[in-house]
Amino acid sequence: MELEANGSGVSDAVNPAHIVAVRDFSPDTLKTIVEHLEVSTAFEHLVYREAELDAIWSITGFFLTETSDIVRQDDVMRLHEGAHRAHDLVGEGRPREAAILLSMFL
Amino acid sequence: MLSRDENELLTRTGTGTPAGEYFRRYWLPALLASEVPAPDSPPVRLRMLGEDLIAFRDTEGHVGLIDEFCPHRRASLFWGRNEECGLRCVYHGWKFDVNGACVDMPNEPPEYGFDNKVRTRAYPTQEYGGIIWTYMGPPEHVPELPKLEWARVPEDCRYISKRHQETNYLQAIEGGIDSSHSNFLHASVDAFRVTDDYVEKVKNSANLRAKYHLLDKSPRFTVKKTDYGLVIAVRRNADDDNYYWRLTQFLLPSHTMIPYQKGLSIHGHCWVPRDDETCWVWTVSWNPEAPLSEDEWKAIREETFVHAAVNPVTFRARRNKDNNYLIDRNQQRTTSMTGIHGFASQDQAVQESMGPIVDRTRERLGTSDTAIIAMRRLLLQEIRALEEKQEPFAAHHGDVYWVRSCSMVLKRDVPFDQGARELIAAEV
Repeated sequence: MELEANGSGVSDAVNPAHIVAVRDFSPDTLKTIVEHLEVSTAFEHLVYREAELDAIWSITGFFLTETSDIVRQDDVMRLHEGAHRAHDLVGEGRPREAAILLSMFL
Repeated sequence: MLSRDENELLTRTGTGTPAGEYFRRYWLPALLASEVPAPDSPPVRLRMLGEDLIAFRDTEGHVGLIDEFCPHRRASLFWGRNEECGLRCVYHGWKFDVNGACVDMPNEPPEYGFDNKVRTRAYPTQEYGGIIWTYMGPPEHVPELPKLEWARVPEDCRYISKRHQETNYLQAIEGGIDSSHSNFLHASVDAFRVTDDYVEKVKNSANLRAKYHLLDKSPRFTVKKTDYGLVIAVRRNADDDNYYWRLTQFLLPSHTMIPYQKGLSIHGHCWVPRDDETCWVWTVSWNPEAPLSEDEWKAIREETFVHAAVNPVTFRARRNKDNNYLIDRNQQRTTSMTGIHGFASQDQAVQESMGPIVDRTRERLGTSDTAIIAMRRLLLQEIRALEEKQEPFAAHHGDVYWVRSCSMVLKRDVPFDQGARELIAAEV
């Protein structure tokens, strides 16, 4: 898990002006997104959170298309749908609720 | 991704739709001034925001933009005679001035005074920066013209083209602010493969874009909301101490400015809905410091960059989907990623291939799509605010458009907005 600093000049672990680099949908990645959702307030922060949740939705979607792992499929499908709902909550300006929803998948 | 409802909200711009009402709060580019070149020159058809209109320049030089169809029997005023300060329908002789008033109705007895009671729909126009602009919204909310630099430079410092694109306006804007596509769609095969020859060519190049795109193919995205829209900042590693930044401007409702390198001309677009499935692509190149150079005119003539040759009446591009944009598969094998000539045609080919209104519920976005997400959210906010009776700020503050795009190399600890402060201020 890493953060992609994007010019704010701040290097705090949880800085909502940083975009979380989403390379997988591991608990670590989800936890970092949840932490960022919890402190996001500005328009720009919500855009970054939406982009991260879009990425989670995208890669879980790709996984579901490709996988033959029946056991994991149900869990990933729930996360896929949860990421969709969290994404829409962020779009509605409700990042805290999105954080609560996403934390259910940790 | 967007929900189906959000996609509908953003892409439908006809009369009475929320996005349509939003666009109708701004002055919008309607025609090249050269389309109605002289008093009493022929009228021209124009479709905009789903409305069919006729433009004409009257005897005194004023430009009218009125409903295409005569209110009498709905005949097209395109056939009309442009004469003595009005456009006369050739069917029964009704005549309309630039304000839409019926000023003559020769087939009705004059004592009825019917002509004084008839009006047709008409929109105000202003000639500004080589373009006829129109305002199609309510008279009580007339906005200010945007103080865009390109509209205020001398005529020989600017080139404007207009093109008919067969997509909704939104996916065209998305292409305009999507920085990550240029490494692929607009790349040469050598650049994409990073051949030794290419590395040698660009490593000491004055073309900073080519040089730094080669060094860092994984840019980082930042957006910043402003009074006029968004600054979209894309950062690449330059060396151990510096970052290379490219700043794109998105200006409400649908203008963009492409990052430029100081000393060269600046390029920008405005995408105006023609209807829900087509749009007008306005493309502007300008140099605030000097007339366009011979090299810049050559790029325009040869369609290598942002301008494309069009049919002068329909404004449909010469390279279009009916002829597969004149793709050259041999060129694609050896020279360019697409085999399609010119950035404008390359953009148009991929955007039109997505269908007239892309289904955004089915897309798979990532963090490199941050700019697109930000632009959509901003437009959604603005459209919903107008539904709640909040007038758009930028529409009534033309001064906020006094900005430029830019590219620059900055020390790593300097925030981009601080480093860009002087570069993004317009100068004319």
